[in-house]
Amino acid sequence: MHGNDAQLLVLTVLANGPLHGYAINTAIEELAGARLGPGSLYGALARLEARALIEPAREAGDTQDKNRTMQITAAGREALRAQLEQMARVSRVGLRALGEAGA
Amino acid sequence: MNVPALIVSLYPPGVRQRWGTEMVREVAASGPGSWPDTVIGAVRLWTHPGDWPETASGQTRRVLSAALFAEAAVAALLLRAAGPPRFLVAGPGHPVASAWLLLVLAGAALAAPLPPLRPGALRRLAAVTARTLAAPALALLALYLTARSGLVDHPARPVHFLLLGCYWATLAYVGSRACALVSRIGPIAIMPGAGRLRPALFLIGAGFAIAAGQGLASAVHPTVHAGTLALSCALATLATAAVTAAHDLHAAN
Repeated sequence: MHGNDAQLLVLTVLANGPLHGYAINTAIEELAGARLGPGSLYGALARLEARALIEPAREAGDTQDKNRTMQITAAGREALRAQLEQMARVSRVGLRALGEAGA
Repeated sequence: MNVPALIVSLYPPGVRQRWGTEMVREVAASGPGSWPDTVIGAVRLWTHPGDWPETASGQTRRVLSAALFAEAAVAALLLRAAGPPRFLVAGPGHPVASAWLLLVLAGAALAAPLPPLRPGALRRLAAVTARTLAAPALALLALYLTARSGLVDHPARPVHFLLLGCYWATLAYVGSRACALVSRIGPIAIMPGAGRLRPALFLIGAGFAIAAGQGLASAVHPTVHAGTLALSCALATLATAAVTAAHDLHAAN
């Protein structure tokens, strides 16, 4: 899976609330039908955290949990919204073109 | 160490410390089919230091400095194994052929940790250096004395292979301890910031790229030489890793 796709999936499932790595992948499996490979998942987490789109969850219990449970940031929500809106536009245009071609 | 733990140990320290335990669990649960993705993920992260989470202050700079010297040590071992090849011989008589080495040395000098100016810190630095380099220095001395003793001038075949193994093991050990030294003195010495690391990585990458280019030119002309070709590909890989990391560090800042 492409790196940007993995980041988009991670942001999407984190938009529902904070999760740790394994739970993120389980949510992605429910959403997309397949789990991300560990390299893709943790690469995406590292990349998103470096871009300040996700961060360790504040309300998690002990220090280790704080480091492992991640939550989406305000910037992450904005980036996700922009990307989903762009995808929706592409989707609308593509479906319309297919409808016209099929008619 | 089981295979999932071994694969996860390939990741940069910050990533390992943050997510290592659950990564091992995830790799173990996903099975061998996930191993290639996990290894590729490790390679990708090593070439993107801007993505590493920091579990301690200055960790990325320390790890990157040690990685830079590890890359130089790997290149030195490769060149030692290859001969060194005639086309890479450096010296005043071969100014053009020496350009790659000058770039690598300039990069290493730029990335080298600087000694602290406080007497207490200097004493600690000397102690850590002595502790880390004592064993490899003794190993090198033993190797030198064995070679000079005349006892092993014409060894039998099994002894020859044993000595060869000892020789390479000693060189690899010395290289690994030199990299460990860079890592250990991190909290004491003045480590290079991104401003020094970026050009250092670019210089080292450029040096290896030139060496790889010289090697490729020599490997295919007048006849194809597989050993030189393999050495050139290895140097090109090291160059790519250094330049990609430098570029990512630039993008991250």
